Order: sequence, then structure tokens, then C-alpha cells
Amino acid sequence: MNSIHHHLARALALVALVAAGSIACLGALPAPACAMETVRCTGRPNAEDDKSAIQGATESRITLETSLDAGEGVEQLTLHIPEGTSFSTDDLAVTMLTGDDLMTREEVSYTETVDGQDLVLDFDKPLNDAGHLSVMVYGVYFPQAGGDIQVAASYVANGAEHTLENIPTIPVVGISGTEALSQWLEQQPWVQSWNENRFLRLFFDPTIMVTSFPVVLNGFFMSIAVVALAFPLGIPVALLLAFMRMSKFVLWRGIATTYVNIVRGTPLFLQIYIAFFGLPLAGINVPNFPLGVIVMMLNSGAYMCEIFRAGILAVSKGQTEAARSLGMSGAQAMFYVVLPQMFRMVIPNLTNEFITLYKDTSLLAAVGVMELVMYARTIVASTGSITPYIVAAVFYLVITLPLSKITRHLEERALGHRTRRRTPAAASAAPTSKEA
Amino acid sequence: MKNWKMTKLASIATLALAATLGLAACGGAPATEGSASTDEGSGEFTTLTEGTIAFATSPDYPPFENLVDGEYVGLDMDLGRAIAEELGLECEYVNIDFDGIVPAIVAGGQADAGLSGISITPDREDQVDFSTPYYVDNQAVAVMNDNTAITEDNATEALNQETVRIAVQSGSTGEEHAAEYFPNAELVSFPNFTDCFAAVQAGQADAVCGNIAVVEQMLAEAYDNEHVVYTSATGEEYAIAVSKDNPELLAAINEAIETLDENGTLDELISANMG
Repeated sequence: MNSIHHHLARALALVALVAAGSIACLGALPAPACAMETVRCTGRPNAEDDKSAIQGATESRITLETSLDAGEGVEQLTLHIPEGTSFSTDDLAVTMLTGDDLMTREEVSYTETVDGQDLVLDFDKPLNDAGHLSVMVYGVYFPQAGGDIQVAASYVANGAEHTLENIPTIPVVGISGTEALSQWLEQQPWVQSWNENRFLRLFFDPTIMVTSFPVVLNGFFMSIAVVALAFPLGIPVALLLAFMRMSKFVLWRGIATTYVNIVRGTPLFLQIYIAFFGLPLAGINVPNFPLGVIVMMLNSGAYMCEIFRAGILAVSKGQTEAARSLGMSGAQAMFYVVLPQMFRMVIPNLTNEFITLYKDTSLLAAVGVMELVMYARTIVASTGSITPYIVAAVFYLVITLPLSKITRHLEERALGHRTRRRTPAAASAAPTSKEA
Repeated sequence: MKNWKMTKLASIATLALAATLGLAACGGAPATEGSASTDEGSGEFTTLTEGTIAFATSPDYPPFENLVDGEYVGLDMDLGRAIAEELGLECEYVNIDFDGIVPAIVAGGQADAGLSGISITPDREDQVDFSTPYYVDNQAVAVMNDNTAITEDNATEALNQETVRIAVQSGSTGEEHAAEYFPNAELVSFPNFTDCFAAVQAGQADAVCGNIAVVEQMLAEAYDNEHVVYTSATGEEYAIAVSKDNPELLAAINEAIETLDENGTLDELISANMG
């Protein structure tokens, strides 16, 4: 950085010299040996929803890496950046990578001049080492509409000018609607004064809110997908466990009790770690998403087992006895009489379990599942604002608030249902106790 | 009963409102509590707790920061303690996931500075101020030894395939590097860098991309069945991140780093930690 400022100062003094040098080079004949080759030409990804996408009208960086042979004597390099793409010379980084593994970095001293869309680098000493020359141009804004950006380059070596061949184009995607909205918002005076307040900027920055919304939405679908599969799949697991726990056979009881106690007695976070990093070591390879679903299913199965068991035990024993006396078998009594009543009773508890499970999908962020929190995290990391977490919170509440309301409604209805059956004395007492 | 509820609700609302206003009010200016002055008298700086400097760190990055038996060890950790000593302060480490450190420094309140192998990048410079760099590092990619598809000879192309999954630490320069140079590959982000290696072991990812010193350390210490197939001299400079609202602390830290550099302590710490 310091050296750049230093050179900026020197640039003015050297402008005349540089101009003269360029004219001299144009007139010279091409030298026979010229082997500067393109290694790569890339743009730095800058999109929030796709980590490897480069989008227009958003700050990026162009990296041009070329290979040089020993004794090539490169004196000047000109980068032509196409019309419509703006760039800045602040933070410009020019480095020679040398050594067998190209791991030795040498700062190159140079003077830069900008002529329209041309960025001209005049090297203080001709580059004669074999290695790679890396030029990083910061503050690049590609055209808003996107497209394939072709950077052109030419260089002067030993007094002769050559064109650098085979520079790949940089694929730039058009700016998304929300990104455009965000940039428009950024210009608005009310947004600017809003963001001047640090608290509001950190937690409720409107520009970040609009850009993070579609990104976090991807995570929302992922979280919903996990819970929408894991929860229904957990129900048969839970029923099976519940029957095992109430079985007459010690072995079944023992297995189910041990399982439920272990799963309920250890943090879900730990179970996720064990499943994601432990199972593959044991030779069991399951892709991320199904594995996430399975872990959540097995975990919620243990919790729902207890809900079901309590529910079954709560169904009056008289119900089973009545069913048996009608000639039903034990299994029939269970499936046609006890279970339907049990399900109605445990619906509020199941809804609560669903809410818990939905919130717990956030723990999968730690193992690389791209769910709600993980998407929000990536934007927090790149923007330094907490706003994406607030957006994520909204996505949780969208599901959990209506569900809690439904649960409350169901609970109240269950309560009302019972009061109707009570004796007049008990019924009259009920409203007062409810109000307390 | 009802009345009590109402009063409680009202008081909660008042509290919440007051908290919001309070936060908003102190948002504009740097915190004024807890001040400590340097011995050299280079201007007063403030820390969150008087007499203590709190560094935010993500201890999953040996040989820079790591937890061994509950102790913070590594180059950064030694450097932090040396700086604290120079400043005449107690040194304290706050464990924050890497991608949360810069946001935490911007937000303030959790730590005075970020010290966690943080490379200076223009993006981060927009959010925080950086001290004088104390270490320069490059990028590396490692794969399993038995991976025959990705070798040292073809790594640049072989890694840039749609079927390749590269494990990276969320918010790291390794993540940016992989996204730029291997845009076709699928990136799998993990909050902890150590988990990236475990993911490669577990087959959740094919390769891991990150800073070379750490990759080499991890391979040497724990994962000898992985090897480096690709390196790139990115020359990233590690520095300490300080809030833009606290230039006095930045100046004091810079002064301390300068002293440690001049008296050879920095070189000693580097050679002691880089095996």
C-alpha cells in the first residue's frame, strides 16, 4: 500500500518519460523470442446467493496471471479493460511469483498510468526472472447487464510490443432484482440517515435486508424440507419405540428405554457431529441432506416416543376393556380404539415437537448443510451486519408463531371438551381457574 | 392477578424500549468507560474492561490458535499475550467462530480486537481497521492420499470440476480463493476449519482449501493420510482487526507490534510456533 502511494507521487514526474517510451516501443520490430502466456484471468465472485458467481454493478477484482520465461525483459504491460467496466488503481497489486513451485513472492516496482480503459504498468526494472506475473485490479465494477468480459493485454519486451494471447473471458451475470433494489436503496436519503444510527445499521440495514431475503429464502426451503421429511418419518419410529417400551418382554423394553434415554440425554448437536463425522469413518457414506433428515428423525423419534407413551397411558383403561369385551383382539383395540383417542390428545404436544425440531435444524449449519442459519451466516461474514440473522429470525417466526397459536387453540379446545363432561359444580369452577 | 400481569408487561416494554434507545444512543460514539493509558503516553485508548484487552479468536487454526487442554496456544495467542504485556494489560481470549469475528468487532461489546489469523482484504478493511501485519501466508488445497483423480500435476483443472466438493471455512480467504479459482466446484462451508479436514476424511468433501501453514500443521499433526496438491502464493498478510471507532487502541497495538518486531520477540514467537 505504501509503495503504491509512493509510486503515485512518482508517476507524475515520470509521465513524460513513459509517453516517450511507449512511442519508441511502438516503432520497434517484434523480438523473435516472446513467450509471455496467459495463466488465468478471473474476476472475484461477489454475489451473495452463489458463492462462485460474479455479478455486474457490484465491487469485484480482476486477477490476470501470466507466465514469463527467464530473460524476457518485460518493460511494460497494458491491460485493456472493456468499455462499461470501471476499475480503480487503489490497492493495485503487482507481484512476481518465482521459484520451482511459484511460492516465492516478489513485489514488483512499477509506475501505473490510466488512459481511458487502458491500465499501463511501466516496470522500473525489466522483468527477467522466470515465473508468473500476477496483476490484481481492485474496485472493478462490471456492467450491470453482465455478459462475458474480455480483458485484453499487450506488453513490451526488449523494446518490442506483443499482444497477450488466449485470455479467457470472465463470465459476469446480470445483477439480480434485489441487488438492484438494494443499490437503489443505498442512494436514498432516508436509508442513509437510517444507517447512520449504528444500532439500526447493524440490525436492520434495509439494503442488506433486501439482498439477504432471497438468499436466506433458499435456506428456509432447506430447513422446511428437512423437517417436513424428518417429522412424519419420526412418527412410526416413535410409535414403534412406544410399543417396545410398553412391551411385556424385557429385551424390547430394555432396547427402547436405552435408546430413548441416550437420545434424550445427549445434545442433538453432539448427535449431529457423531453422525456426520463418525458414520463415514465407519464406512457408511450418506450424502448431507438425507443424513441430516435421518439424524433429525431419529432424535425426534425418541422425544415423540415419550409423548405417545404418555398419550396411550392416558387413554382410560375402560376403553380397552370395553373394546375387548366387544370381541376385539388386543391389537384391534389398540389400533381402532386407543390410538385414535391418543392422537387427538397429543396433537398439541406433537405441534410443539414440530416447532422444536424446525428450530433445531439450525444445528445442521455446523456440519455444512446449507440451511437457514448457514445462509444468513455467510452474508453476516461478508457484510459485517447482523441484519441477515434478523431476516433468518423472521423466517423461523413465520412458521413457529402460527403453529404456537394453533397449539394454544387446540389446547383450549381440549380443555373445553373436558369441562363439558364435568359435573355442573366442576364446570362452573373451570372458567375462574382459566382466568387466573 | 391481571393487574400484576399488566404492570409486568408494561415494565418489560419500558425496559425493552430503554434498552433499544440506550443501544441506539451509544451507537454513535465510541464507548467511554474503562480507559487505560499507555506508559509511553502515546494517547489514551479504551478497552471494554479496564486493565484487560479482550481478543476475539476462533481456536481451530493451529499453529496460529488452538485449544490444548483448555489453554489457548499458537502464534497468535503468544503474540496477543506479548502485546498485552507491552500495553500493561491483562490478556483475555473470547472464543468466537471465525466468520463472526469481524462482525463482532464492528458491533463492539464482545472483544476489543480480532486476533485469529485474519488476512487483510479490501472487503474487511471496509469494516474494520487492521494493524501492521505480523505474518504472511498463502493458500493450499489438500486431498486424501488415496485420491487418484486429483494430483499435484492436474490440481488446477481437476479441482475445477462440478463433481468436486471443496470444504472451506465460512468467511475465510480460503473460501474466496476456492470460489474464484475453482468456480465449477461445489463449496461446502464449515464454521470450524478443523471440521473441513474431518469432512474430507469422512468423504463429505473431496478437498480442503485454506491457509498453507494451517493445512500443513493439520496434516502433520492429525491427518497424515491427506496431502497437499495445490499451493498458491497469495501472500496474504495476517493482522489484528480493531474497530474503526477505536483508532487509539490500533495505534497502541501497532506500537506494541513494532517493539516486538524490533526486539526480535516476533521472530522468536514465529519460529517457536512454526515447527
